[in-house]
Amino acid sequence: MSNAGAESLPTKEVNVLKGHEGAVLAARFNSNGEYCLSCGKDRTIRLWNPHRGIHIKTYKSHGREVRDVHVTPDNSKLCSCGGDRQVFYWDVASGRVIRKFRGHDSEVNAVKFNEYATVVVSAGNDHSLRAWDCRSHNTEPIQIIDTFRDTVMSVCLTKTEIIAGSVDGTVRTFDIRIGREISDDLGQPVNCISLSNDGNCILASCLDSTIRLLDRYTGELLQEYKGHTCKSFKMDCCLTNSDAHVTGGSEDGFIYFWDLVDASAISSFRAHSSVVTSVSYHPKDSCMVTSSVDGTIRVWKT
Amino acid sequence: MDSDEEDFVFYGTPIEREEEITSRKKKAVAEASGQLRTAVPWKQEVRDEEGRRRFHGAFTGGFSAGYYNTVGSKEGWTPQSFTSSRKSRAEFKQQSVQDFLDEDEKDELEGRSLETSMQFDTFGFTAAELARKQAEKEQEKRPSAIPGPVPDEVLVPASESIGIKLLLKMGWRRGRSIKESSANSLYDLRREARKAFLALSAGDTAGKSASSELVDNDVEDVTDPSADDGTVFSRSTPVYVLNPKQDSHGLGYDPFKHAPEFRERKRSRMLGTKETLHRKPFPVGDSLFGFKSGRVAPGFGIGALEDYDAEDEDVYASGYDFEESYVEETEEPSKPMNENIKLLRNKEDGLLPGFKAASNSDYQLERFGPPVIPKDFVPHHKFTAPLDVGNKITEETPPEVPPPDDNNLKLMIDGMATLVARCGKLFEDLSRQKNQSNPLFAFLFGGNGQDYYTRKLWEERQKHNDGKKWQLDGKIFQNVKKMTAENRGKILGEKPLERSLEDTAVTAASTDTVNLQFNLADTFTKPVSFGEDPEVVKPFQDDPAKQARFEQFLKEKYRGGLRSMDVGGSSQMSEAARARERLEFEAAAEAIEKGKQGKEINTPSQLFAGVLPTAGLQFTSGEPEQAKASKEELIKEKRYPRREEFQWRPSPILCKRFDLIDPYMGKPPPAPRPRSKMDTLIFMPDPVVAAKVEENVMLGNDQSSLSKVGSEEKGREIVDEEIKVEVNVENVEKPVDLYKAIFSDDEDDDEDDSNPIQAEDPQKNVEVVNKTLNRLIAGDFLESLGKELGLEVPPDLPYTENRECGTASSKEVIIVDREEKDTAGVGSNRSSVGYAVTGSFMTAEVARASNDKQNTTGSAQTNGSRKTEAGIPEKSGRKDASENVKKEERKTKSPTRRARNWSSGSSEDERSRKRSRHRHRSRNSGSETSDSSDGSRHYSRSEGKKKRSSQEKSSSRRHSKHRKHRHRDSPETQRDSRYGSGKAHGRAKDRRRHRD
Repeated sequence: MSNAGAESLPTKEVNVLKGHEGAVLAARFNSNGEYCLSCGKDRTIRLWNPHRGIHIKTYKSHGREVRDVHVTPDNSKLCSCGGDRQVFYWDVASGRVIRKFRGHDSEVNAVKFNEYATVVVSAGNDHSLRAWDCRSHNTEPIQIIDTFRDTVMSVCLTKTEIIAGSVDGTVRTFDIRIGREISDDLGQPVNCISLSNDGNCILASCLDSTIRLLDRYTGELLQEYKGHTCKSFKMDCCLTNSDAHVTGGSEDGFIYFWDLVDASAISSFRAHSSVVTSVSYHPKDSCMVTSSVDGTIRVWKT
Repeated sequence: MDSDEEDFVFYGTPIEREEEITSRKKKAVAEASGQLRTAVPWKQEVRDEEGRRRFHGAFTGGFSAGYYNTVGSKEGWTPQSFTSSRKSRAEFKQQSVQDFLDEDEKDELEGRSLETSMQFDTFGFTAAELARKQAEKEQEKRPSAIPGPVPDEVLVPASESIGIKLLLKMGWRRGRSIKESSANSLYDLRREARKAFLALSAGDTAGKSASSELVDNDVEDVTDPSADDGTVFSRSTPVYVLNPKQDSHGLGYDPFKHAPEFRERKRSRMLGTKETLHRKPFPVGDSLFGFKSGRVAPGFGIGALEDYDAEDEDVYASGYDFEESYVEETEEPSKPMNENIKLLRNKEDGLLPGFKAASNSDYQLERFGPPVIPKDFVPHHKFTAPLDVGNKITEETPPEVPPPDDNNLKLMIDGMATLVARCGKLFEDLSRQKNQSNPLFAFLFGGNGQDYYTRKLWEERQKHNDGKKWQLDGKIFQNVKKMTAENRGKILGEKPLERSLEDTAVTAASTDTVNLQFNLADTFTKPVSFGEDPEVVKPFQDDPAKQARFEQFLKEKYRGGLRSMDVGGSSQMSEAARARERLEFEAAAEAIEKGKQGKEINTPSQLFAGVLPTAGLQFTSGEPEQAKASKEELIKEKRYPRREEFQWRPSPILCKRFDLIDPYMGKPPPAPRPRSKMDTLIFMPDPVVAAKVEENVMLGNDQSSLSKVGSEEKGREIVDEEIKVEVNVENVEKPVDLYKAIFSDDEDDDEDDSNPIQAEDPQKNVEVVNKTLNRLIAGDFLESLGKELGLEVPPDLPYTENRECGTASSKEVIIVDREEKDTAGVGSNRSSVGYAVTGSFMTAEVARASNDKQNTTGSAQTNGSRKTEAGIPEKSGRKDASENVKKEERKTKSPTRRARNWSSGSSEDERSRKRSRHRHRSRNSGSETSDSSDGSRHYSRSEGKKKRSSQEKSSSRRHSKHRKHRHRDSPETQRDSRYGSGKAHGRAKDRRRHRD
């Protein structure tokens, strides 16, 4: 099983996307996996076709490094955030900034659209999550969640929930439907969280070089994945499209694949010459993009 | 001044000074005749025929210049004859070079400009220029490898300037400073003199060296003239720079500015390349590789306007500096500079040219050996003074006294005596001072057991001194001299009584203070020899971790000096547990020590067995607890991830955007976020919990209000509050409420009003009271703080906008709510609570509120008493209605204000307007009924109002914003006031004040 799984893993480099000057901080597939977006220290967001290796567009407006970017399901709008403490709401086609949401007191680490692309939720160094309304012209946050005791590193949205991981060691789920906040304390700073494709589990990358898999409904710790190095950089982790494997980067430039169930590292290979900042898995195919501090984005396929 | 001036009368016109006029006139004339050099048009001044500046006025340009009063051309308005271009159309002007030249260029071209002649070219510029031009011409003539004009650095001026010529004639040499030559001559003179002197004193070696020096100098002088013809050498004037620019960086740019450590590296590398330059014709190769290796610019900087903080450090690009320096190295030009290289190479080795490194250097680090310790030195500190004094005092042996019956006391005395013996009289004094009023320490003041104490002390001292003497003599210790009371008891077969917890608590305080002293004495008095091999004994074999800690403890202990604080405690242990364990260790260590001393008599294990239980008895009362704690910790560790659940309120708009139903729809808004940091500091250790409490309170109110449909004003108000806050929420109960409010009769309104308040669960009351207390304390604290700092506690706290938009402050509701209750006067303590809560809304206000609290209670009581006087037996809740009546009554009388509302159209106002609407309705209903009620009641109540007004002043102050407008208000109809009033309650109070 695991061998068969390993064969289906995207370990072959198909394309190298070069263009960012300096570190690439995040690379993300769009919702159908046709395109990918990247952002980096050079204050730009770039849109790529990873399958053909083409650079399509560059979005420039951020005053400092861009830390995260997300695109709406209909590919019409972007949101991005970064060191300039603002959340930018872009028009994809024209490349113009539609709105700038100011309000975070510090750098913004992560940003996500909700399902209907009506709300942008951003996670900041100011220990807060802020929700911004894209529909109205209101540039004030419509909700501030500041129960976190430390920097919020990552945020995920479902249809009804806002899930965020923080350096205070908690993964907090804010259920809008029932108006409850569920806090799962992992005891270790949470670097990145990502949802399983079935939506039942949360993958949380902690700064003790461990990725933890949590059951969302019980808060149980299902599995721990170790082997990589993740101690000081903001790095991503994610599940493969089939939820069979967990993948994540390492600070030494390696990419790791673990079996979801028995937590054994199935595959690991050196993908970049420096820290792998982000991994993003294609929603349907066995394809992956990784970004690194070395300034490249690499596309991996089976 | 003014009066002085009034006295003067002026006749005629003042005569202007002649000079002024003449100069002005002259100027005007000169200008008119065009003699004056024309200034640039924008600097010209317009003057009239008198030569005065012409002022055009502010709109036409002030003292304008140029073609004033014209269309801006010389011709101005003068009409020009029209010339058709039809016939002379093709009149095309031939352009010449002149058209494109500036004035100075034209001058130059025509040879009109003045230049310095070659003859007086002091600095040789013109000569250089000329030479350059000539070279250019030559260049054009013959073909050359370098196309274009030769750069002027290559060319040397053909002729020397007159200055140089003069200087040379005066004996100056090229490359020397003018000053130095004179200095040299002076030096020469002196040297000559010295030489003569030396020659006189029968030339020895010194004379030889001097002469050789002179020879050297002469040689130099000989070489110098040769330098005149081209190859210039310098002594002081730099003919060439030591560090010529060899790279292609911009001028003044230093790539190693922040990394000077790479400069040397680069230089050495450069030299290396220099040497291989001839062999390697194309040294740029590795730079190409360098580029190929995928080196990327390490990110961008930040904007000029943004400040650079620590977070902007490029965490990712740490490894690039080296590469960068490598690449730069290859960019240097290939200019042969042999001398420089030589110099540089010498410098490389850290040597000046002409010097070489010494083979053996005299410089050595001087090391000092440790001081020699005298043989009879004992590493042991003596506390001489107190001990000696004590010794003298207790010279005579006190009589043997039987120990007191009370075992506790005995233990106490024993311990005390031991300590005093160890630490000296000072300790006794200290503890005496400390425990003056403590009955347990009565033995120190001549109470019960003093004889025993003195005896014991004496014994201990004897023991102690003996031990010391032995130590000093370097003899082996005798056995069990330092036995504690417990040990003795154990050996004698006495069964120590179980200590009560209280006892330990009492003694804890005293021992605490002594601890440090004790420790010090301990560490200093224990010779190092004790720590030979403490590991032999393992008192905690059953618990390896503990054993390890114990060993650590021993090690630390015998190392001497002050112990580190975390001795013997792992990080997971609580402070108390650690302290306990430490004491245990202490006892165990002592036991081991004793065991060693008395090895001949007792086996260590035996003795140890004897000691440990007592130690346990003494110190391990918390042992099981500790175990429990550690177990808990273990469990905790296992229990990660830990799940907790809190209440969280999504904002309605968020729900809307997520296309979900607001779970809190129809519920009152949550507590506002803490306004300031002070707020959180004082009141809420956990904002979430606090919010919950708040929520509970709110819910309690709400539910009660809903259960008694449309009854109390309070409930209605909450509902009303919601309506306006959550705009998108539809409230079903509202209309019913309204109708009830309007049409239900006064009677059951009142009854219901009173009921829920009394029926409210006691728990909530407790909560509220607690909270109130907290806030009152905080308020007092604030006030006192303010007084201390000499600040005035701000009387008014503005309603700052809630940061979470869409959710209004629920505390506001509470205020209203409470105030309503308060004015309703439901029992004195209730009202006080209500008031306090209101006050708590504004931290700064709390103090006042707390002061007012008394007023409130007082007034509430008077209110009640008044009622009985009036002879109307009613439930307390009735007052609410009567209050309404009053308000109504007042309203009709007092001027109402609408204009204000429209003028100050803040959202807050609107909110309050909505709220007030409701109130007024209820008041209306109240008034309807109250009309029928007897006048005496009215009267009696209006009396009470006076009293209350004082208290209300304070609360109404919060609404000073509104009060500002008050006096401007115009009389209006009652209806208008219903819709147009601001803070309803604040207003009502105002009205009361007006009446009063």
